[in-house]
Amino acid sequence: MKQRGKGIGCTFYGTGYGNGFPDVSRARVQLEKDGAVTVYVGATEVGQGAKTVLSQIAAEALGLSMEDVRFVCENTDETPDAGTAAASRQTYNTGNAVKRTSEALIREIKNAVANHWQKEDVQRIKVDRGKVYHPDDQDKTLSFREVALLAGESKIVGEDSFTAMTTQLDDETGQGNPYWPYTFNVYGIEVEVDTDTGKVAIIKAVCAQDVGRAVNPKLIEGQMDGGFAMGLGYALMEDINLSKGKMKHDRFSNYLIPTAMDIPDLEKLIIESPESTAPYGAKGIGEPVMLGVAPAVLNAIYDAVGVRMTTIPVTPDNLLVAIKEMDRKGQPHEK
Amino acid sequence: MRDLVQNVYQAKDTETALNLLNQHQSEAKILAGGTDLIIQMREGNVSPPVLIDISSIHETREIKEQSNTIELGSTATFTDIEKHILFNHCLSAIAKAARSIGSPQIRNRATVGGNLCNASPAADMLPPLLAMDAMVVLKSKHQTRVLPLSEFVTGKEQTLLQVDELLEKIRFQNLTSNEGLGFSKLGIRNALAIARLSMAVYLEWDENHMCKNVRIASGALGLNAQREWDVERFMKGKHLNNSLFAEVAALLEESTMKRLAGRNTMNFKRYAVQGVFKQALDEALEGMDRRKDS
Repeated sequence: MKQRGKGIGCTFYGTGYGNGFPDVSRARVQLEKDGAVTVYVGATEVGQGAKTVLSQIAAEALGLSMEDVRFVCENTDETPDAGTAAASRQTYNTGNAVKRTSEALIREIKNAVANHWQKEDVQRIKVDRGKVYHPDDQDKTLSFREVALLAGESKIVGEDSFTAMTTQLDDETGQGNPYWPYTFNVYGIEVEVDTDTGKVAIIKAVCAQDVGRAVNPKLIEGQMDGGFAMGLGYALMEDINLSKGKMKHDRFSNYLIPTAMDIPDLEKLIIESPESTAPYGAKGIGEPVMLGVAPAVLNAIYDAVGVRMTTIPVTPDNLLVAIKEMDRKGQPHEK
Repeated sequence: MRDLVQNVYQAKDTETALNLLNQHQSEAKILAGGTDLIIQMREGNVSPPVLIDISSIHETREIKEQSNTIELGSTATFTDIEKHILFNHCLSAIAKAARSIGSPQIRNRATVGGNLCNASPAADMLPPLLAMDAMVVLKSKHQTRVLPLSEFVTGKEQTLLQVDELLEKIRFQNLTSNEGLGFSKLGIRNALAIARLSMAVYLEWDENHMCKNVRIASGALGLNAQREWDVERFMKGKHLNNSLFAEVAALLEESTMKRLAGRNTMNFKRYAVQGVFKQALDEALEGMDRRKDS
């Protein structure tokens, strides 16, 4: 018999290393002789879109279009350390560093131009779309390329960093600020349980993800699809089959992850609520998008057949035995 | 260092393949789709000095019906089978079994002959062909043998295929108006899944819904895919109704518990076998309803 049920999983997640651990991102932004700007930052691109999002943040802060921003993150010889691509921290932590560094470059550009314009008041100099100008004097306009030439052989450079504001928890009182910021996620999932075989099929799934500000909605949706698939594997399939300290499922022919045939279309809701300490309000969502899946699936299974599973993965093996044992004890399915 | 393959021959016809087999005997391994063999070679489980590739032989790839007998060529791929018109109506359970294997890429290469000769306990084509009481036609340079598939498979990855023999084709009777075939496979996921358990049910009934004949075959329920003779004997001559199905389910549970005693999959499979059997049976019975309607 096939029985359907619905479940919800809500999570909140603390971004970054946390607990007062030095969580530092550094960056360098440089004005090139052709007027383009290069961002040097040691933030690893692992397919999550760090290059795209950090370029967008730099372009926004520099008042340039994306095409005029070069982004270098691959070479550790050239790039200041921005920490690991982990803890969903690059958009927030390194995003802040890139924004601050870009703002530092703008300040350096203004200083150089103020000098060039015979000690003009820096406060009165404006920068927009690759041009430096004086609002009251039309003759005073320079392109970034012209500004770059003012520095002669050397280059105009902005350097800065960002450190996350967390503190270690007090052992005595348990007080402190272990993480900042937090990100919120909710999954709603409908399942169909085959009570004869223990197989669980996902009928419908919705993900609502708090992102602070959606710097790149398409990339966020990609992360949501990926996190959903990962969470589903975690909930229903992925089993290392540990036996006496040895992983018996040590290859993808027995450590099963979902295929496209196992993943239904995910309805994706992006919730924007800008975070005041974040670059343009944006927070990282890499890990949060997978967290709610397993609790939602397990709640949906409970709603469908009245069995409260407390271990994952919920493979047909585990679920079928649990259903039959409950039946044998004569407890009615709660639904 | 793994032993390397010395020679690879690509046979264009059966005769060439049989001559090569006769020449190289146990030195040679037959390569059809390679989806099992190549993996076994990579893992160092087999290291044949000679490979005889039969994947381009056309004559053994044919699927045809002649006077109610279906002949399924051994190098027909699962894609060939799942798309063949013979398997899209009454025998759709065979197409379903073929479609349940691997991924489209694997189904484009893997052959039914390879599946039977590799004789994995979870081989997906074995249960439906066992339930159809299929015969295998084995050819060598000097003789042709015809064996029931149920005798051909003798154990886990064990068959009666001799070193100089080639499985040429599989032969079985097509269904007539009061027969049905059902197949059900339980895998952990919906593609690229090895059967945790599979079952095929062939049924023949009379106008009073009495079970005239039945053949049941299971996969991954023991060391090799096999006929469930006890259950078949129990069902024969009885009325096909829910109380019979409940009795059969209990019988299957009991025999599974005996067969898998001491194995940690027993507690799951004693229950799953009933569900998988029910799904295969329901599909076989669909044939009854369909013909009743038409």
